[in-house]
Amino acid sequence: MKVVAVYILLTAFFFLIHLSVIPFLAVIHIAPDVLLIWLVYIAIRRGQVVATAGGFIIGLILDLSGGGNGMIGLAALAKSVSGFVAGYFFNENRMFQILGGYQFVAAVGLTALVHNGLYFLIFLQGTEIGWSGALLSYAMPASMYTALLALLPMFVFSRKFSL
Amino acid sequence: MTDWWETSPGWLSRTRHALEQEGIPDFVDDEDGTMRRIVDIIVFYKEYFVLGSCIIISILLLASNENRQIRSIRSMTVASLGVLQDAFGFIPNYFDLREENNILREQNLKISDELSRLREASMENARLRGLLDLKARTSYAYRSANVVGKNLQLLRNTITLDVGEDDGIAADMPVVSHDGLVGRVVTTSSGYAIVQTLFHKDMRVSAKVQRSRTDGILVWDGSSTLMLKGVARTLDVRDGDQIVTSEYSSIFPPGIAIGVVSKTFEMPGDLFLTIHIQPGADLLRLEQVFVIVHTPDTNRIALEQRAAR
Repeated sequence: MKVVAVYILLTAFFFLIHLSVIPFLAVIHIAPDVLLIWLVYIAIRRGQVVATAGGFIIGLILDLSGGGNGMIGLAALAKSVSGFVAGYFFNENRMFQILGGYQFVAAVGLTALVHNGLYFLIFLQGTEIGWSGALLSYAMPASMYTALLALLPMFVFSRKFSL
Repeated sequence: MTDWWETSPGWLSRTRHALEQEGIPDFVDDEDGTMRRIVDIIVFYKEYFVLGSCIIISILLLASNENRQIRSIRSMTVASLGVLQDAFGFIPNYFDLREENNILREQNLKISDELSRLREASMENARLRGLLDLKARTSYAYRSANVVGKNLQLLRNTITLDVGEDDGIAADMPVVSHDGLVGRVVTTSSGYAIVQTLFHKDMRVSAKVQRSRTDGILVWDGSSTLMLKGVARTLDVRDGDQIVTSEYSSIFPPGIAIGVVSKTFEMPGDLFLTIHIQPGADLLRLEQVFVIVHTPDTNRIALEQRAAR
């Protein structure tokens, strides 16, 4: 019960960061996704089921808070799928090595690519930007930026777990 | 006794072996063990069930959006499904043909009779209008269309037609059947169109009682009939009155039959009448319709908007 409360509080904290601080880090409308990094952490610590359901809840709250650009259900869909993908990095025996190593950054990068690919493919429908354009101009830069930001928690975990 | 998995499809047998390897307790082998087996399978594939459930809920949420992106995806889906529905549309239902023929003959007789009376009335109307120097009413072009798809189980009931932009169909064109108003076109692709029916929660039609010329707004509240809203309880509306589209609508031409008043009553404390309308067009049996090639009068809309400012 205590663990759940801690996760809820941390999720609320990351929401605050995502909605208030992250917009200032945006470069040409491309911003990192701190909630996705948090989701990958949940996946590595708690596994695929918790990450998928957690991704759905985080995405839905994001949709309802207006952070999903007015398309209710889109962030929930993208984050559920990315939680599921991130769950493949769950390994009970190597949990801390993954969190404190470059595998964490790789997991964030891959998950972000799946998340952003799916998100922008739907979000940019009906615009002049095609699928390849969506992938190259939005999904890939945003994923790289998110992966870059994941270096920060990786170094923290590395030091914390004395790897 | 033969165990259930020995006669089950391959994937179920594989599931059982996988469950055994995972150390999940054995299946209940009694006759009523089916539910337990289903639960076991769900537990074993829980990741996929959770993902599937999340995706389904997200898609349902997305589908209820009215964004441009969602309309674009719907349009693509409609085009793809329309091709499929069209491909299988050639298969006729021979059992219904005889009954349909009888109905059509009967209808033909009634229509011929009505046509002859209408010709008389039209000539008389033209003569009287000429005497009064009234502006002649516009006649509209009709484009026939087949209903190739129906979505009649939700609060947003729509039908798909096999005509689209290539046939000159555009959004906001009214759709009618021989029984009356069906709805209006909301989305089009090159070869198909989606029609928002009267049984759609977002549908609003400016309508009037033909006999007493009482105006109201036709809406659907999710029940089996339509409602005429905004009619003061002092106004004259009776059961059986015909309801038609009014001149105030910028989308529907005036005078299109909608249905008949099926029930009228006064709710205590309400200033307005509660009027139930039974629509003429039966959406469940609808097969052929006509799209009225009529676009809203932009001149009139612009003037009304200017006046509103």
